[in-house]
Amino acid sequence: MSGGAGIEGADFLLQARGRSAELGAWVVGVAFGREGRVCAFGLGDGTVRLAAPGAPAEEWRSVAAHPAGACLALCADVRDGALSGGDDGRLVRIAPDGTAEELARYGSRWVEHVAAHESGVRAAAVGRTVHLLDAAGRALKSLAHPSSVGGVAFDARGKRVAASHYNGCSLWFVAAKEDKPRLLEWKGSHGAIAISPDGTHVVTAMQENALHGWRLADGQHMRMSGYPAKTKSLCFTARGRWLATSGAESVVLWPFFGGGPMGKAPTELAGGDGVPCTAVACHPQQEVVAAGFADGLVAIAEIASGRVLPVAAPGRGPVSALAWNAAGTALAFGTETGFAGLVDLSKR
Amino acid sequence: MSDPTNAPGPRAQIPVTVLTGYLGAGKTTLLNRILTENHGRRFAVVINEFGELGVDNDLVVDADEEVFEMNNGCICCTVRGDLIRIIGGLMKRRDRFDGIIVETTGLADPAPVAQTFFADEDVRRATKLDAIVTVVDARHLPARLADSPEAEEQIAFADIVVLNKMDLVTPEEAAEVERRIRAINPWAEIRRAVRAAVPIESVIGRDAFSLERILEREPEFLAEGNEHEHDSDVVSVSLEVERPLDPERFNAWITQLLATKGQDLLRTKGILHYAGEDRRFAFQAVHMLADGDFIGPWREGEPRRSRIVFIGRDLNRPALRRGFEACQAEAPAAAGTDRT
Repeated sequence: MSGGAGIEGADFLLQARGRSAELGAWVVGVAFGREGRVCAFGLGDGTVRLAAPGAPAEEWRSVAAHPAGACLALCADVRDGALSGGDDGRLVRIAPDGTAEELARYGSRWVEHVAAHESGVRAAAVGRTVHLLDAAGRALKSLAHPSSVGGVAFDARGKRVAASHYNGCSLWFVAAKEDKPRLLEWKGSHGAIAISPDGTHVVTAMQENALHGWRLADGQHMRMSGYPAKTKSLCFTARGRWLATSGAESVVLWPFFGGGPMGKAPTELAGGDGVPCTAVACHPQQEVVAAGFADGLVAIAEIASGRVLPVAAPGRGPVSALAWNAAGTALAFGTETGFAGLVDLSKR
Repeated sequence: MSDPTNAPGPRAQIPVTVLTGYLGAGKTTLLNRILTENHGRRFAVVINEFGELGVDNDLVVDADEEVFEMNNGCICCTVRGDLIRIIGGLMKRRDRFDGIIVETTGLADPAPVAQTFFADEDVRRATKLDAIVTVVDARHLPARLADSPEAEEQIAFADIVVLNKMDLVTPEEAAEVERRIRAINPWAEIRRAVRAAVPIESVIGRDAFSLERILEREPEFLAEGNEHEHDSDVVSVSLEVERPLDPERFNAWITQLLATKGQDLLRTKGILHYAGEDRRFAFQAVHMLADGDFIGPWREGEPRRSRIVFIGRDLNRPALRRGFEACQAEAPAAAGTDRT
């Protein structure tokens, strides 16, 4: 690669190594299929758009996933393709070839959160219930919570699933004979949720511009506050040393090593512009985090050096979706105003 | 208030109308009227799953009315968690509707609904509370007021009261019901109706929570003596002072008042004349959550004075009066003469 981002401006990578499109509706979620052949954008108009990461010249396809509604949540499915939840009450699988298959229909209730693990289990949060389905799409069990579920996540091995709700979160064993959750309590409303890769910590984002965490070994509470806005996006780095979060005017990273995060100050990256960070996505192998901002800027930052590389320039709406592919060689993003991009970051 | 996360987004805020009213008052009838009238506007409707009648609309969302407390130091600050989630979801398809109507259950306290629009940054950025419309049954209101605090609260919070089923009461009964409503909420606009037939413009697009609109309706104050009638728990206290207010004194007083009495104070509205200021200051609060700003100059020849109305329970009128009077910029001539 000759030249550099500095010379060509913040849009260099998108222009030189990417593909973008105006999709005309809020990009709710983006995910790469685990098979590596598709990148799926879930939209507020009920469609899922499919791009081919390896073939930038190929037209993006449009799949009518939720014809009567909006896509509310999207993630990579168990083996390939994507899983989409909609406000039409449907859980839909999008195969890499663009086929949409209804896995479940939950009536007039919204499917607000979805998650899937490669071991062959899927989760769909509908109101107060988290429905678990197997790889074939069969219903496994329905887990009830005291109030509406604000976020759902599997642990790294797919053995446990965590669901946030009012006054805490519930941790369930997927394969338990008797479904009895471990209730992690903390007063307030909990939304986005993540389990550390080693399975030792659970962290949620709260209504009150703060995070709450639990160390599972001893139930120790962790409070991470000081955010000017609500955190909506949080993820652990590949080996779990850092928790990257949105909600501040920089990427806020909490250290989960050396006794942290208790008593440790977070590291801030890619700040200084006074613009709130709205989405984060950690690289699947390296200690690198991608971040999207309220002005539309997308950047990647190396945690150790603090070096920031812009990927897409500001001006296309707040970044609402962001994801790496499994190999860490491609990054996709979308904005509230319907702009979407897919950038090849592989070594050439 | 220059917090960028709270600044209005590039797109216009979606107006939200809140429909409250006791079971059987005619709330759903009004809702269906709004939806079926040919006005060219499209609404997203948030209803409770236990609604009495069917609602005929393309976009209907079932709500659970999940109320929770905010950990923000306000002991009474409750919000509707389901509404935060629903509005977040609706915004993702916002091109398909022009307004949102939230119908609450008959027994709902309107405060958490109203507070949601003040307390949640995302809701505040995407939407604005247009008006709280309360439908009451003209014939049964006296009984409801006697047996349910929610009926009083629904009137206390109302910007517009649709006084429904007027064909079932005598003119005397109607006058008495209106008097009861005014005693609770002198600020509400009362619309008499049969089968909830009111012009849609009277309930939709009112912008009643905009500070500028506070002035447009003179509260229909009752004679002072009437305010002491104890025919309901919820009463209003209207105060007026002639001399300009000291902004710092007023701020200190109202902050303390809302912090200590916020639970009892349902709604507060005021137009204030600050010393040395040619613009009017508008103030409003829902329980402890307050909002205030300058709203343009006093009109030519308009008497410059400060007025404030409290609607709530257990209001100590003399204490409120003393407190408000003490906010005036110069101490009254009689003050300071007390010894011991």
